[in-house]
Amino acid sequence: MKMFVCIKYVPDTSEAEVKVNPDGVTVDSARFSFDINDADNYAVEESVLIKEAKEGDITVVSIGPKQSDVMIRMAMAKGCDQAVRIEDDRIATHDPLMVAKVLAGAIKGQEFDLVLTGCMASDDGHMSTGVALAEELGVSHASMVKKVELLDGKVRAHRELEGGLLEVVELELPAVLTIQTGINEPRYAPIRGIRLAQKKELKVVNLDELGVDPAVVGLDASKVVLEQLYIPEVESSAEFIEGEAEEKAEKLASILVKGGLV
Amino acid sequence: MSTESQTFTEKYDLLGCIQCGRCTGGCPVTVRADLNVRRFVYDAYHEEKLEELARLAEIWDCTACHTCAVRCPKGLKPLEVLLGLRTMIIESGKVEPTVRDALQSVLLEGNPWEKSRAARSDWMEGLDVKIAEPGVPVENLFFVCCTIAYDPRVQSVAKNIVGLLNKAGIDYAFLDESETCCGSEVFTLGEEGLFEMLVEDNTELLNEYTAKRIVCLSPHCFTTYKTRYPDLKAEVIHYTQLLEELLREGKLVWKGDLQKKIVFHDPCYLGKQGDVYDEPRALLKSIPGVNLVEFERRRERSLCCEGGGGKMWVESESKKERLAETRIKDAKALEADIVAVACPFCVLTLEDAMKGLGYEEEMRVAEIMELLGEFVEA
Amino acid sequence: MGNILVLAEHRQGALRDISYEMMAIAPGLAQDMGGEVTVLLIGSGMDELAKKMAAFGSKVLVVDDPLFEDFNADKYQKVLSALIDDLKPAVVMTGHTAQGVDFIPALAVEKNLPLVAEVVSLEYADGTLKATRQLYSGKVNATVAFKPADTYLVTIREGVVEPPDASADGAVEKVESPLKDDLPYRSFVEYIEAEVGDVDITQSDILVAVGRGLKEDKNLPLIEELAKAIKADIAGSRAATDAGWIPHDRQVGTSGKSVKPKLYIAMGISGAFQHVAGMKGAKTVVAINKDPEAPIFTVADYAIVDDMFKVVPKLTEKLKELKG
Repeated sequence: MKMFVCIKYVPDTSEAEVKVNPDGVTVDSARFSFDINDADNYAVEESVLIKEAKEGDITVVSIGPKQSDVMIRMAMAKGCDQAVRIEDDRIATHDPLMVAKVLAGAIKGQEFDLVLTGCMASDDGHMSTGVALAEELGVSHASMVKKVELLDGKVRAHRELEGGLLEVVELELPAVLTIQTGINEPRYAPIRGIRLAQKKELKVVNLDELGVDPAVVGLDASKVVLEQLYIPEVESSAEFIEGEAEEKAEKLASILVKGGLV
Repeated sequence: MSTESQTFTEKYDLLGCIQCGRCTGGCPVTVRADLNVRRFVYDAYHEEKLEELARLAEIWDCTACHTCAVRCPKGLKPLEVLLGLRTMIIESGKVEPTVRDALQSVLLEGNPWEKSRAARSDWMEGLDVKIAEPGVPVENLFFVCCTIAYDPRVQSVAKNIVGLLNKAGIDYAFLDESETCCGSEVFTLGEEGLFEMLVEDNTELLNEYTAKRIVCLSPHCFTTYKTRYPDLKAEVIHYTQLLEELLREGKLVWKGDLQKKIVFHDPCYLGKQGDVYDEPRALLKSIPGVNLVEFERRRERSLCCEGGGGKMWVESESKKERLAETRIKDAKALEADIVAVACPFCVLTLEDAMKGLGYEEEMRVAEIMELLGEFVEA
Repeated sequence: MGNILVLAEHRQGALRDISYEMMAIAPGLAQDMGGEVTVLLIGSGMDELAKKMAAFGSKVLVVDDPLFEDFNADKYQKVLSALIDDLKPAVVMTGHTAQGVDFIPALAVEKNLPLVAEVVSLEYADGTLKATRQLYSGKVNATVAFKPADTYLVTIREGVVEPPDASADGAVEKVESPLKDDLPYRSFVEYIEAEVGDVDITQSDILVAVGRGLKEDKNLPLIEELAKAIKADIAGSRAATDAGWIPHDRQVGTSGKSVKPKLYIAMGISGAFQHVAGMKGAKTVVAINKDPEAPIFTVADYAIVDDMFKVVPKLTEKLKELKG
């Protein structure tokens, strides 16, 4: 099994206050902690599990800054064999279609059986990159995969639909699978493993070195413009529901129903 | 330190064991879990058995309280055999997600609580805190601890001491958000590689500050720096030792009094491992009005609260009474109003047990620094 | 012409809510763009579903062929691709669902068309289509403008609007399938229902969590009834799992599980740091606790300071009533 796994270095904004920079199109990330995107972490684990079961070779592909090397080394400590990190600020990263073209540039021309990605990035959440990548590579795909079974020349993917229903599909290899969280239990990358992984190859390239024309993946090439980021007007602190106990219960019930929360 | 160069037997001096059983006999966890540390020391001598031993669930029950080490007539540290077995699991990567996430957070953010490094000194907001600068000599360099820095329940330990230090006019400084986990729990969870890295990095960081003493707010950091960082230049003390000095020098000015019966719970990392028993008691006794009483199991024999040994991230399978509950019941029997501790983990575990037993109305768990914050002028 | 093509989504013989919801968004936008809405249904034996969609008043196109017995991303892509060539819609709109996300990005690449995914609202002004979507799990909104193109692709987030009334009588028109033969590289095998009783709280959409405030396990049926009413799973704080009220594998917190439901209702949970760390990924948090100082309120979106035993029965009753 020759595999590629595409991963992204994302901020954890679950607790941090998010502020939009004066440029209006980026956020102040100085106080964020960064880590591998959650779903991508499961994709890495799945690739390593496949390698352990079937033998194979895994290449990590990531677009990101130098700081993300630690994430890549962790993936290599878990069992990935080599990595390509693309660092180039000419990429229109707000558009998943452009990102997919760059990732495809790192994979095209090489033999592979499977490309795994996370099904969604926790920062911009388009859920589009993996499926677009499959089209760029001209191979079949399945998204939101909760279980992978390898058959002879085929892969059986269990896709997670709304309401917990699984849709089982069979794809011809090679294929792209976008992996849903919960498919496995990602392992820990011990420091000694990370140190050993320093010996594995991590190639850092820009678009020119990758052989991707910057004009094809840049802001001008993208057909969408990120115009403005802003903080939505939401209750930043709790809304205290007042009244007698029963009244509070009734008010809460209608908030939950009207808000489409239940 | 590494397993590559030494065999398990050599590393933990297993041949030195005379199988007297004092370790297991004193182990507080035995009442709760199926852990027989003597047996592990015996079995670990057979190298071929190690993998099998490492897979036993009870290796995660050890709280690293060090009772076994204190009691061993041969001066061995039986618990470290369990930690060595944990290392084997950690290095396979297949650990509980809670442990995985805590360790990874230490690597990426310098704390096990999955908090951003940038938020580490948020507790200082609104306080007049002196921040250390490399190369500028300072008498007392404070080390806050990840739990005190981030957990709002125990942040008061750090906040209160700042007011007190400013009032006493002593030479001190705190680290900014560059402060990084001491690795106490990293070590006891068995992540040796990460611990070695922390020792290297923290030694370099802390030695950059020309400090006479490093004052730790948590006994876990205190013991770890004191015993596992051979190249630290500064002397390492616990804050109760510094405050006891201030008390003797008359630098603590009392306001009001506390007409309460207080029982002091010796944290394992402060007492058994740090040999600090008298200073916290002296501080408590000096609060006007306090009636300090003692547990039957105290000082070297103090009962563990089960907060150490990485247990904040590993749940025991045992359904039996938590040791912290036993401890709170003992305090209740003594009719204590306050269970005083000097460790953030003890606060969390004992308070949890107190609430679980429904004693919230009549009893309180308090860090000594919380009480001093209420009764010392700042 | 600013026509909008809405792909109605269905599964196992029933239309999905998103199909109705898009009918609350598409007509207004079509009006602003000077065009009309056309609904597209792809499937096999679509008569009844087509009638339902026609009730929104727009024309319904039906590609009805045994080839489309089950959803297949590749086949859908082929049909849409051909229909875009034929109909030249200004906008193609699908749900941001397991179906929509499975083929729209590939279609965008194939046809070299712009895509904005998981849109919560759309606006057309001065010749420009702009979409609003959310980043950082809803903490930031983004306005994304489309550069001029023949066709814009959008996927709409579920549950952002109420479906409109459906009492009109639109036309239903069958179109021949642009796809004649089965495609070789992807095939549907089967649906597998989620196993019941085998709950993984890290995957739950709605969690009702109880803590020490539950007091004893005989109070558990109260919680179970609430959970049943809103199809939630039950979780607990360490105190609740310790007490044996809730199974250990449903413990939320640093020594338990990290959960990320859409809705987390914490009842009788004070919200210690170690618990909150395990539920910080929840989208909306409701906290019910009688202690007004309980730290859980600092992470809650909706808060009730009261005795959970007084609030929960009424809450369950009212929820059942409202949800019919």
